[in-house]
Amino acid sequence: MKKASFSKWLLALMLVLLLVLAACSGDSDEDTGDSGATEDEGTEAETEEEDPAEDGLYSIDDFEVDKMNAGEAIEGGTLNYGLVSDTVFEGILNRVFYEGNPDFEVLKFFDEDLLAIDNNFNYTQDGAAQWELTENEDGTVTVTISIRDNVNWHDGEPVKAEDLAFAYEVIGSPEYTGLRSYYIEDVVGMTEYNAGEADTISGLEIEDEKTLNITFNTANPSLLASGIWASPMPKHIFQDMDIADMPESDEVRVNPIGFGPFKVETITPGESVTYTANEDYWQGAPKLDGITLKVVDPTVVAQALETGEIDLVDSFPTDQFPDVEEKLTNVEFLGKIDEAYTYIGFKLGNWVPNDPENPEGAGEVVPDPDAKMADVNLRRAMWYAVDNDSVGEQFYNGLRWAGTTLIIPAFPDYYDDTVEAPSYDLDEANRILDEAGYEDVDGDGIRENPEGEELTIGFASMSGGDTAEPIANYYIQAWAKAGLKVELVDGRLMEFNSFYDRVEADDDAIDIYQGAWGTGTDVDQNGLYGRTAAYNYSRYASEENDELLAAGASPESMDIEYRKDIYKQWQELMVEEIPVFPTLYRSKLVSANERVTDYSIQPSWNEKWHEVGVTQEEPVLP
Amino acid sequence: MWKFIIRRLIITFPQLIVLSVLIFLMAQAMPGDALTGQVDPNVSPAIKEQLREKLGLNDPWHIKYADWVGGVVQGDFGDSFRFKMPVTDLLEQRIINSFWLAVVTLIFTYIIAVPLGLLSGRYNDTILDSSITGYTYIGFATPLFIFALIMLWIFGYQLGWFPTSGSVSPGLEPGSLEYIISKFNHLLLPAISMALIQTVSTVQYLRSEIVDTKQKEFIVTARAKGASEARVYNKHILRNSLLPIAAFFGYEITMLITGTIFVEQIFGYPGMGQLFLESINLRDYSVVNAIVLLFGSAAILGALLSDIILSIIDPRIRIK
Repeated sequence: MKKASFSKWLLALMLVLLLVLAACSGDSDEDTGDSGATEDEGTEAETEEEDPAEDGLYSIDDFEVDKMNAGEAIEGGTLNYGLVSDTVFEGILNRVFYEGNPDFEVLKFFDEDLLAIDNNFNYTQDGAAQWELTENEDGTVTVTISIRDNVNWHDGEPVKAEDLAFAYEVIGSPEYTGLRSYYIEDVVGMTEYNAGEADTISGLEIEDEKTLNITFNTANPSLLASGIWASPMPKHIFQDMDIADMPESDEVRVNPIGFGPFKVETITPGESVTYTANEDYWQGAPKLDGITLKVVDPTVVAQALETGEIDLVDSFPTDQFPDVEEKLTNVEFLGKIDEAYTYIGFKLGNWVPNDPENPEGAGEVVPDPDAKMADVNLRRAMWYAVDNDSVGEQFYNGLRWAGTTLIIPAFPDYYDDTVEAPSYDLDEANRILDEAGYEDVDGDGIRENPEGEELTIGFASMSGGDTAEPIANYYIQAWAKAGLKVELVDGRLMEFNSFYDRVEADDDAIDIYQGAWGTGTDVDQNGLYGRTAAYNYSRYASEENDELLAAGASPESMDIEYRKDIYKQWQELMVEEIPVFPTLYRSKLVSANERVTDYSIQPSWNEKWHEVGVTQEEPVLP
Repeated sequence: MWKFIIRRLIITFPQLIVLSVLIFLMAQAMPGDALTGQVDPNVSPAIKEQLREKLGLNDPWHIKYADWVGGVVQGDFGDSFRFKMPVTDLLEQRIINSFWLAVVTLIFTYIIAVPLGLLSGRYNDTILDSSITGYTYIGFATPLFIFALIMLWIFGYQLGWFPTSGSVSPGLEPGSLEYIISKFNHLLLPAISMALIQTVSTVQYLRSEIVDTKQKEFIVTARAKGASEARVYNKHILRNSLLPIAAFFGYEITMLITGTIFVEQIFGYPGMGQLFLESINLRDYSVVNAIVLLFGSAAILGALLSDIILSIIDPRIRIK
């Protein structure tokens, strides 16, 4: 008896382990909290569209960015908002401290940025504050932020200049453990303040109750492209609190306040939030009486939309779109180009830290002229050899498509569609390789390098999602057709964390890798492709690249036309040099119940939730 | 009796210590840490390095272990990097949800298992028995996470009988009657889904026990004395067959914990299991360590409980 029960348990245990393994591999890659400009694994599928072409393919051009109004909005009503996430929201409901995107989705209803943006993510004068930029004689710049008079916190206190200054003081404090420091490190006097040598930040000057002058050391055009920290923190609430205690305080987690169109009413940690209208909102009282937000797992979001349980989602999983778009007749799908791209990178050198004791500190990229991928012809041929449009059609129903340049169309002013990027042409790939001396000398069908040695290229790609493996295999086969032997490093896909550990460490086994970047809201490329950027994973550097990137971030580039021209040149340079090549651009889908009005997914909409209404009390059903 | 329990308790201590070291080392061996996922061009590796230093992520493992154990002994599991709050507070929020889910699941498990097992054992090799056994085989073969999804789809979305996610309806006042009813309503469907799958081993077990006991000589004796069929089953057979089931109880708790990991994920039910999976993926070590330690302790205590129950009802197996 005892024995029987043991083996039974063993069996059960093995079953459980099997399930654990299965489940882990299933979602190990899902979102790792991208807050704007983070990396993005680039493996989950995406899809979307309204009128399917006959071949079942969609195109982002078929989607609207503004919700069609199905009628007049009624007075009041409650909107059910679905936060699509397979993780809970952490509940750090403060712009200074939050890290995960789910928290931002909760925040955006009750707190907003002081400055509004346009579709290129440049600041406009339409926000809760107006701004003015003055270039000083000593090369510094001063941004004057004037908060409108009628902007008040939910508790009735006015939003003051000292609240914004307070946010700078918190972020700049040595006790601050969040990740926002990059916004403020260029403020005059911040280094001294952060080191504890100064009690105040000399670059901040409170001119009057509603006006703050912020002086920056350098005139960087990124400042005007969403690069200014413009989220105040209510000083009257937080001033007596230790910074280290703030993220766990009730003022952040239980009853946070902001100055947005809705007030937080209740929070059920991790799962739902209810909001009520803020009648005192500076742009006028919202149309809705309230909003109920809840976390919805991506696997069930289509059902929740169909039954009207939720009216609106922050993003609809594009891989589900082709299956449900006909069924969801009560839902309108909106779509836009996502701020991310997938790419293939070539390892061209190494990261050399300034201080060998501290390999993760400052340092610079040192290209290695003898790297396996150092020949640009080889790289160009590899670009010609892959058919990314087919990848987009086969795996994403056309909702991803071949990329051309490294500045994506989500930046309409900067994206250059005239750049002639290689597109699929196997003959051209073969021709380039033949000319460059990559010939098959031993007759095994595989090209050797110009020295006649065997050429095996190690390819690193991440696991996760259903499409990761077939796509990696497709690329390997496509290159094989051009006679190149490409093998997965270790013969398998890598888990997210090991992938980045090894790509960052310039692992010798990795010659090429498939990654993805979220582009954030600024076209400045120094952080990804600059000589001193640790995230320049391809380890490419050249003088021309240095010059263009420096010019793009120089005071002259405050002139948008000049900046556009610089980045046009840079896009061309990248297509010539090919340290990496973009494989897929992506679309982002949002779905809204027919009853929702005046909603939009354009950046220039600026989260105007006070305008959103519903046409009837109950959701429209199919 | 007490001697046995105390002796058994003493053994659990080294088990817990070994467990804690193992957990800690395994967590350390995972590639990456809480900051690896922050692949953000704005957050340079140098800043990440400073943060690692601040958070003590760079210390050698034995120092980290000593810190951790020092805290754990005082009930302090450290701070969650991801949630920016003490792990104990975080677990407190979640463990209540998981606890009630487990209790309700356990009740359903036995409500289903005992009658089915009894019927199946009593009328073995009839059509009734075959169908019950058939159900248990299907149950064994069905992955819980698929089954839970199907249940959610049918009863949650198609029929609309149950809420489909979360642990409570948004906006209710905690403590009010409405709140409690809503909580219960939210955990019914996950609990039933889990119980329907979890129960099959108990049904099988009970069935074979009864079939086994039926042949025993003391049953023949009871029948020979003229005891009625009902009396034979309820008094003699059921009692003896339940013994091993009772002993199962402790293990059942362990099973429940592993089961909730999937169910919580699917039903968006914020409990320990959901927290566990997310924390592993995002390398929130302090939370992972705390949860594995709790799960591990629960398993050890569950085994202890089973042994104790067994020793109470069956003195033969007490350890000498």
